[in-house]
Amino acid sequence: MRAFLELESLTRVFAGTPAVRELSLQVGEHEIVTLLGPSGCGKTTTLRMIAGFERPDSGRVVVDGRDVTGMPPQKRGFGMVFQHYALFPHLSVAENVAFGLETAGLGKAEIESRVGRALDLVRLPGTQGRSVSSLSGGQQQRIALARALAPAPKVLLLDEPLSKLDAALREQTRRELRSLVKEIGMTTVYVTHDQEEAFDLADRIAVLRQGLLDQVGPAEQLYRRPATQFVATFLGRAGAVAGTVEGVPEDGVVMCRLGADICWPALAPASAPLTKGAAVRLLARPEALAFAPSDQEAVLNGQVTERRFAGSFYVYRVSAGGGELEVQSDSSDAKPGDRVGVVPRAAPAGLFAFARSAGEGDGA
Amino acid sequence: MSGGRGHQRMAWRGRLLVAAVFAILLWAVVYPNLTVIAESFRADGTITLRHYVQVFSTPSELRALWSSIWISAATVLLSALIGVPLALLFARFEFPGRRVLGALAAMPVLLPPLVGVIAILFLYGESGVATRLLQSFLGLQSPPWRLQGASAILAVHAYSMYVYFYLFALAGLARLDPAMFEAAASLGAGNARTLTRVVLPMLTPSLAGAALLTFMTSMASFSAPYVLGGGFRVMTTQIFNSKLQGEVAMAMVETVMLATVSLLVLWPLARWEGSREYVAPSKGTSAMRVPVRSLWARVAVPLAAGVGVLVLVLPHLTLLLVSFVRDGTWTTQTLPPAYTLENYRELFAETHTFRPIFNSLLMAAVATLAALALALAAGQLIVRWRVRGRRLLEGLLALPWALPGTVVAIALATTFSAHQPWAARWVLVGTPWILILAYTLRTLPLTGRAALAGYRQLDPSLEEAAASLGAGPWRTLRRVTIPRLLPAIAAGASLAFVTGLGEFVASIVLYTHRTRPISIEILSQLRDFDLGAAAAYGVLLMVLVAAAFILGQRWVQSGSA
Repeated sequence: MRAFLELESLTRVFAGTPAVRELSLQVGEHEIVTLLGPSGCGKTTTLRMIAGFERPDSGRVVVDGRDVTGMPPQKRGFGMVFQHYALFPHLSVAENVAFGLETAGLGKAEIESRVGRALDLVRLPGTQGRSVSSLSGGQQQRIALARALAPAPKVLLLDEPLSKLDAALREQTRRELRSLVKEIGMTTVYVTHDQEEAFDLADRIAVLRQGLLDQVGPAEQLYRRPATQFVATFLGRAGAVAGTVEGVPEDGVVMCRLGADICWPALAPASAPLTKGAAVRLLARPEALAFAPSDQEAVLNGQVTERRFAGSFYVYRVSAGGGELEVQSDSSDAKPGDRVGVVPRAAPAGLFAFARSAGEGDGA
Repeated sequence: MSGGRGHQRMAWRGRLLVAAVFAILLWAVVYPNLTVIAESFRADGTITLRHYVQVFSTPSELRALWSSIWISAATVLLSALIGVPLALLFARFEFPGRRVLGALAAMPVLLPPLVGVIAILFLYGESGVATRLLQSFLGLQSPPWRLQGASAILAVHAYSMYVYFYLFALAGLARLDPAMFEAAASLGAGNARTLTRVVLPMLTPSLAGAALLTFMTSMASFSAPYVLGGGFRVMTTQIFNSKLQGEVAMAMVETVMLATVSLLVLWPLARWEGSREYVAPSKGTSAMRVPVRSLWARVAVPLAAGVGVLVLVLPHLTLLLVSFVRDGTWTTQTLPPAYTLENYRELFAETHTFRPIFNSLLMAAVATLAALALALAAGQLIVRWRVRGRRLLEGLLALPWALPGTVVAIALATTFSAHQPWAARWVLVGTPWILILAYTLRTLPLTGRAALAGYRQLDPSLEEAAASLGAGPWRTLRRVTIPRLLPAIAAGASLAFVTGLGEFVASIVLYTHRTRPISIEILSQLRDFDLGAAAAYGVLLMVLVAAAFILGQRWVQSGSA
């Protein structure tokens, strides 16, 4: 895929504190990329630099081969949907949607028909004359989207556009949003702190932490092959126990010794090679582990501390190997206090080894 | 993540605007005052303390300063005694007519001080309606009192400045958590104990603010001492007289003294304004107002409120009455014997009688526009661009508020009576421009405050949304910023216009026959004993003020919908 929007080592410092550090990212034409991370990770600052509301201290923003870093936002031709929508309360629905078309200098009839089409697109036809305050939160969100899309922008930017909606509506709206954006083939950057939202929406997810880009990739890749501990724990659940590297990593798989005769194979990150004898933290997805009789080979023994009902299965919290693991199981037999054995289901899938720095404790 | 919002690299047009706003404000607000200070130290081309020595060694000068201070302190006390109980009455009890009476009680805040003074004169003056009624009732040979000197000034001050205490106390009470009252009651406290141990202590910040504002207004008061003072002088009238008698250097020193005292008072006031205490933590669960229950209270509370408010608006009703009096018919009778619409017809009948109305409307309108434009530009600089020196800018907007009108007028008259273009001084004295400049300065704090509040409430993402839709700075300003600021603009503009319409204190220093505003005309009609005409002008002013205010309110509401 051709890179349509390119961020080249963007850096933005606020009062001595870097909000975004050397961030580079490429977004392909018609691609939806989500900037995902906890609050304060720099994702909104990044989006605002793309939009032109923040000027990077260094680095470039390139669109379709053209450097727009110094260009004011109104010249960029990007559509943006704001967290609180920022609909103009003194203008009607039609006037809001027409705003960008008027600045583009289109004729009256053309504007009218394009407003109509934009409202059809967000499934709110006939609301032209309504005042924005008379609309529900979900409708306002769609009007904000219609307004951003009406001038046919080069890039669509969305800043946590669903955070104001309630949970049920949020889930429905994000599916609609994806199919709508895909239908018109819009290059999109979407900011969110909600992992599920990112999974549902994005072609690729960029995970940010403290202003740094940890990993970029499709949701599945991030989930199955996280590059950092942060990505592993931020996307999906993972328990952790301490271990040491046994033998040399081979094909990205490393043997981790967890006890006297317990060795589990785990996926090792490509970026930071592990050496023999290195202290590691072994992270395990709940669905990658299973209960087993304690005399079976490579069983890690522990004690159940919590049992959680999760619909079609149960999640057990097991205190073992100086850490805490989560085990997903269909059975409800174990209960808190029980001694259990834990084994990987299909190692190394769902098991990740990361170097443990000297100061770190053994626990998760 | 909004920490870095704001300007980054400013275009030259932006820099030009910043420079222009700073230059205009420094030129209009600071420069004239510096001129006065410089003049107060100058004699025969040298720098000297001679004028200060002279002022401080003249007993009448010190007496005037002392009079200003004690009159102001007494005004604070009297105003509190009227305003606070009134506020408690309207805030705590529900009774028929509460809303109307409550609004009426706040009315004097809008009325030009001079109109208040002559209204009181018509009611309680030596030949006032109330005075004559009492005189004939008691069968006295001479009026029971003379409305003159310190006591008269105090009476007028209390009459017009209780409003500050009333409004501040009401606002303070509205911020209190009504559950406080219920908590006090559940702990066994009666009404008196709740008042002294809970309500009044919690109102302290509001009342302190009202006290300082009242003190400053009283220090700056000119109308009452000028019309009713007689031989009793305060600083403002002392300055005016020094100027009138050509003792320019003395006037400069007195102006500096008055400005200094006022600024010393402003300082704690500004600090107080920063700290808003006792904000209600919970919302709207308990009712603030209790309906009055006992039969006794059901009669007494509305009666007290009604009588109280009637007494407070009686002067203005009297003004209305006098405006219908046929010229020359009211001599010794208690109430005027003959009524006519002639006084009003004459206002508009001839060029020379209509002139002051035209002048006031035009000059107030131009000044309002200027003050509004300056305030909006400053608001953009302070809130949006967060320019360096924004605190100074905010101070410049507020400074004329702390300076008595007399000080502003003297400073302008001193500065703009010389033609020195190289020093940014031109002869404006004798032209309408000096009055417009004075009105602009006096209304700048009002528009400034409104513009800043408006900008601070404005969601910055609206402007960003406009930019993301391709709108440039001008289009964003026109289509988004200004429409969203309309309520603030309307509120600021109506207050500013109202202030300009009734302006008297600076006008009396700066007017000429051609540029005389309504307030000056009222005074000269009064001097000619044409009471009907003076009253008609006064009523017209009241009506214009009310119209401007109501229009502004409408606009505020329509804009915020």
